[in-house]
Amino acid sequence: MLFSREWLADYVDLPDAEEVAGRLTDMGHAVDAVEPRGDDVVFDVDVTTNRPDCMCHHGLARELAVALGRELRTPNGTFNEALEAADEAAAIRVDDHADCPSFTATVIRGVRVGPSPEWLVERLDAVGVRTINNVVDVTNYVLWETGQPLHAYDLRRLVGAEDGPPLLRVRRAEDGETVVTLDGETRTLDPEILVIADDERAVGLAGVMGGTDTEVGPDTVDVVLEAAHFSRSLVRRCAGRFGLHTDASHRFERGADPLACTWAARRAAALIVELAGGQVLQGELQATDLDDAWPPQVELDLEKLCRFGGIELAAEQIEAILAGLGFGLERLDDDVIDGLGGASHTERWRVTVPSWRWYDFASAHAQDVYEEVLQAVGFDAIEATLPAIAGLDAIPSPAHRRRRLTQDALAATGLAEAINYAFLDRERDAAFPALIDREPLALANPLSDRYAVLRRSILAPLAVAADHNLRHGAPAVRLFEIGHVFAADDGDGTPPPVGVPNQRPIDGRGRTSAFDRPPGAEREALAVVLGGDVDTPWQRGGRDDASLDFFDLKGVLETLFDTLGAEVGWRPADVRRMVPGTGAELILRGGDIDERAMVIGVAGQLDEPDAAVALFGAEILLDALPTGERALETTAPSRFPGIEADTTLTHPLDVAYADIAREIDAADVPHLVSFELRDRYRGDGVPAGSVATTIGFRYAAEDRSLTQDEVNDAHQALSSRLEAHFASGEGDM
Amino acid sequence: MASTLDELTQLAARFDDEASRAAGDRAAVDALRVSWVGRKRGVLRPLMGRMKDLEPADRPAWGQGVNRLKTQVEERLAALDAELEERERAEAQAAAAVDVTLPGRRPSTGTLHPVTRVAREIEEIFLELGYSVAEGPEAESDYFNFEALNFPPDHPARDTQDTLFLEDGRLLRTHTSPVQIRTMLARAEPPIRVICPGRVYRNDNTLRHSPMFHQVEGLAIGEGLSLGDLKGTLEAFLKRLFGPSTEIRLRPSYFPFTEPSAEVDITCGPCTGSGCAVCSMTGWMEILGCGMVDPRVLAECGIDPDRYSGYAFGLGIDRVAMNRYNIPNIRLLFENDERLLRQVRR
Repeated sequence: MLFSREWLADYVDLPDAEEVAGRLTDMGHAVDAVEPRGDDVVFDVDVTTNRPDCMCHHGLARELAVALGRELRTPNGTFNEALEAADEAAAIRVDDHADCPSFTATVIRGVRVGPSPEWLVERLDAVGVRTINNVVDVTNYVLWETGQPLHAYDLRRLVGAEDGPPLLRVRRAEDGETVVTLDGETRTLDPEILVIADDERAVGLAGVMGGTDTEVGPDTVDVVLEAAHFSRSLVRRCAGRFGLHTDASHRFERGADPLACTWAARRAAALIVELAGGQVLQGELQATDLDDAWPPQVELDLEKLCRFGGIELAAEQIEAILAGLGFGLERLDDDVIDGLGGASHTERWRVTVPSWRWYDFASAHAQDVYEEVLQAVGFDAIEATLPAIAGLDAIPSPAHRRRRLTQDALAATGLAEAINYAFLDRERDAAFPALIDREPLALANPLSDRYAVLRRSILAPLAVAADHNLRHGAPAVRLFEIGHVFAADDGDGTPPPVGVPNQRPIDGRGRTSAFDRPPGAEREALAVVLGGDVDTPWQRGGRDDASLDFFDLKGVLETLFDTLGAEVGWRPADVRRMVPGTGAELILRGGDIDERAMVIGVAGQLDEPDAAVALFGAEILLDALPTGERALETTAPSRFPGIEADTTLTHPLDVAYADIAREIDAADVPHLVSFELRDRYRGDGVPAGSVATTIGFRYAAEDRSLTQDEVNDAHQALSSRLEAHFASGEGDM
Repeated sequence: MASTLDELTQLAARFDDEASRAAGDRAAVDALRVSWVGRKRGVLRPLMGRMKDLEPADRPAWGQGVNRLKTQVEERLAALDAELEERERAEAQAAAAVDVTLPGRRPSTGTLHPVTRVAREIEEIFLELGYSVAEGPEAESDYFNFEALNFPPDHPARDTQDTLFLEDGRLLRTHTSPVQIRTMLARAEPPIRVICPGRVYRNDNTLRHSPMFHQVEGLAIGEGLSLGDLKGTLEAFLKRLFGPSTEIRLRPSYFPFTEPSAEVDITCGPCTGSGCAVCSMTGWMEILGCGMVDPRVLAECGIDPDRYSGYAFGLGIDRVAMNRYNIPNIRLLFENDERLLRQVRR
């Protein structure tokens, strides 16, 4: 918002432009630019939305006067009144004061509409307002001076009631009624819209824009000047409905001064008479019925203010600041009786809020006044301290811990962490496996079709990232992402959203409505995608093939599950977007999550025929996994040497390793400490349709060295048992 | 007798001759050992046994001669062995030599996202200051995102121009402040000290902005917390994050949920406050927003504003990450190009 230094200086003596800019910024009115303009200087000030009282030169000058400790001057609003009474020349009527708490009309007869003098044109130009004619320019000037929007009507174009003078009436529009606004557009209205009307028709949108029918033009002689205070919400609704953003609506929407109508109208009338001649009729027309809650009052306690600010302030200092800002101050008794019956001495005041801040002090609290004082004192004066709160907050967040463990475990396996947008197009979202089996949650105002829905799977955007890397020549991709997945709410049994602390039972304080809507499905998930040749032959140290495959993916996830202490089983499954025969469902067993086994993830080879390498991906509901908080138990290794023995089993391809492993467990072989897959071999010597699986077994005892003989028998028996269960038929051998 | 002793001299000469030929050859030295001191057919084996065939007077000389020869053979064999071992060790060492200028084989480790790195650093600072970490949903209700935070109904942030709304009537949170509300509602009584990291969303897809970014917000509520405590906490935090020489300044500002509110600037990193292109010659960089929690917000969350006060602050993680890792455009953070991601090793 633009301000002229010369104009501000009408109301307060000012130092040079640079100091003015510094003072304003220090008070919270950040000066974004200082532009010389002839002899003048224009400040571009970022007036925050809570300070409409500073959206005019007099209001901003008030702040400067306090900051500089100087006097604030008020613009001149005096003129000689004509003998003719205003109420004989015009009439006003406000249908409902809830819509319009205050309405004043001033009648000026005999004006000569013409061009404005140069100083007025200059000042309006400095703040970016175009000159129209002297009367209209005065209304704009006074808006930029006092913050009070004004509108001038051509009196002779207003229609009065039968036998009555011309009428200005504030009423709701009728359904289908129209008005042509000053921008030339025909607006079709309804009872949601507040209008200014004469006896026959709407002549303007209240607080937003006037109409062409009654505008002041070259042949206007008699003028009615409106200064009113309209309901914020009605102005907002009207401006929003018609997409009209005017200087007037901007101020009414944010909060105007309900008591400014009168003095702003006088100021404007004085200027019109000065510049366009004419006479102001006696007794302005006024219809006012203010809110009972005005003016707001607050009790202020010096000690509490100082404690809140962390600063020592004198009573006189506080009084000077608040009085300068227009607050009324009434000293209260110095002695306060404390709870123990003793008296303590502190300065207290009853503070009355000035009318131009009423909008900002609804249900006023002392802290609202602290803010005024501390901003005026300046934050540089506040000493930095550390809060005196004993102990730590230290409420652990298991989800946070789990995420950290997961990130670290996955980075340790060689994956790079990615972050994608949470929204994507419908088609892609539908193509990937969603672990929450619901409809997608769509955006009401998406940035574009590419971002139409919230993701149900992280794999969907992560596969795009994989593609990006491959297209840029990467020989391999290894990525993971942790984030939220979303789905539409089906209204029952929705799992709680991520990380929501246990809600305190909602009491009778009327807050339940906020919790009425079930929060939809939102979970924390993890996706991994990998594929390609990781290393050069040099990096591999002479080993042959390093193409990442399903088992690299599975190994990464197994490492993670070990870290978190999750027991996860894998079973073959048809999974959307996975190459048939490569898909798996991951089942969480036991733990404290749920008695039943639950599917917490899917994995497989992604069906991405265009990708330069085979890609493998997994999606897992991270928030279903344990948080890694259960203590890890270790066992001391045996101090006695163990014995290793291998078994090679040639069996049909469709025998699942999990079945072999289960059989080994079931055999319960004494001293068998562990076993692992050593090799899988298909080729010479292995019949077609079969595979040679070599498993290494390790035997050891806690208390002694085992002899080869005692192991041999047990191992032989185990091998025979596995042969009998799984080996390919003899004919194949 | 003399001729008998001559035989020993000849044997010694023969051994010397054979040993000289075997030197340096592991197989030949092994064969030499077998043929001279081998348990079964070693040349030296029967010599001592021949003593009994000699005259008693000749026996000592013979015995001494045989022993001398034996010592000579054994010492020479040991020397040959040592010589061989020395050579073999030299050969092995020659074979182990490497070109130390070849690149090392690095273990294949991954990386955390730059945003994660910075978020963790911030979390760690506040964990040390006694704060907890709190988190919440990204799809939020108007109540938690705006209403409970004292946003007036006409605040521009509530507009579809600024906020992404969902078809079910909720919205994507525009800041992590709703987690503060949830935390206050969930805790029975202050004191409260939490930080709330997470993803947030705005309806803004211009060149310099991203519709999704990351924030950390902090909240402290207790008896007698002051504006000075806010200033001191931020100073401690920002000096840890950006270095001990960092200066901070608070400029009054406006947020609906705090009063007074302030924007916080730190001395510009690249120019250390003297003014450069990064800070538009001001010497300062805007880094976070903060303020004393508005009493209406406290009251809405069931906390007595006449007894408790508190402060809140929030900063964007992405900008800090871009600064720290010299990433020129926020979009690069979410493009997930491994060539960039894998450079961020700390």
